[in-house]
Amino acid sequence: MESMFDKKQNLEERLKFVRFYSQWVKSVPNEVWSRQQADFIDSLFENARNFSLDAKKYLKTIKR
Amino acid sequence: MDIEFSGEKISLKNKVLSKLDLFVIDFVNILEKYTDYVVVSGYVSILFGRSRGTEDIDILIKKIDMETFIKLNRELIGKQYWFLNADNPGELYDMLQDGLAVRIAVMETVIPNIELKFVKSDLDKISLKEHMVVKTGKDGINISPLELQIPFKLYLGSDKDIEDAVYLYDIFLKYLDKVKLKEYMSILKVKGAGYGIDV
Repeated sequence: MESMFDKKQNLEERLKFVRFYSQWVKSVPNEVWSRQQADFIDSLFENARNFSLDAKKYLKTIKR
Repeated sequence: MDIEFSGEKISLKNKVLSKLDLFVIDFVNILEKYTDYVVVSGYVSILFGRSRGTEDIDILIKKIDMETFIKLNRELIGKQYWFLNADNPGELYDMLQDGLAVRIAVMETVIPNIELKFVKSDLDKISLKEHMVVKTGKDGINISPLELQIPFKLYLGSDKDIEDAVYLYDIFLKYLDKVKLKEYMSILKVKGAGYGIDV
């Protein structure tokens, strides 16, 4: 049966983006790439406050 | 990207620090008062700009005795951290002794958290002994040697890990010690040619 999702192709596409992105990071000053990265990561950080699992449930989940 | 290499030091001047960076820096500034440490795995690629988040930061530490661990535990709790696995420091220390990780987060949060372990394998010991120091302003973070980090990510093998390996390889291509990289790839029995990591 033909797979609905081509994992290999998906990874190749993601790696293509990683290579594009690394070239961009290398081409700009630290202030530029790190500002964008900090904005992105800080938004995830803020969102983590809404994390719904307590420690016990979280530890149980990551053991799986 | 402006990078300056000087021996084992990598300087990342003018990096805008994220809240994740500040969390790690605050934690390691406490940790290093008690033992040697090295940050390994995903956060290393994030520190150098990879555009992804993480729920945990993996840190290996040199083994410490129970008394030192209790002092570390006390200082962390006094500075608004908490241990997710247990409250009792003796129980936490036993976990570390058994080769398990203990997780530490800022009070009233679960993620992100620090996943702290004692060094165990020979490669863990190499990571600790031959660590590099990344300077972001006045602060420093000890990280695993990049020549070991890249093969290790390939060894872990998930899509995310392979992407991290490719990212670090592309960023540090001209600085990497290819002989060491090849040696660690051989030890871990990983191949990177299929992903453009060709040594």
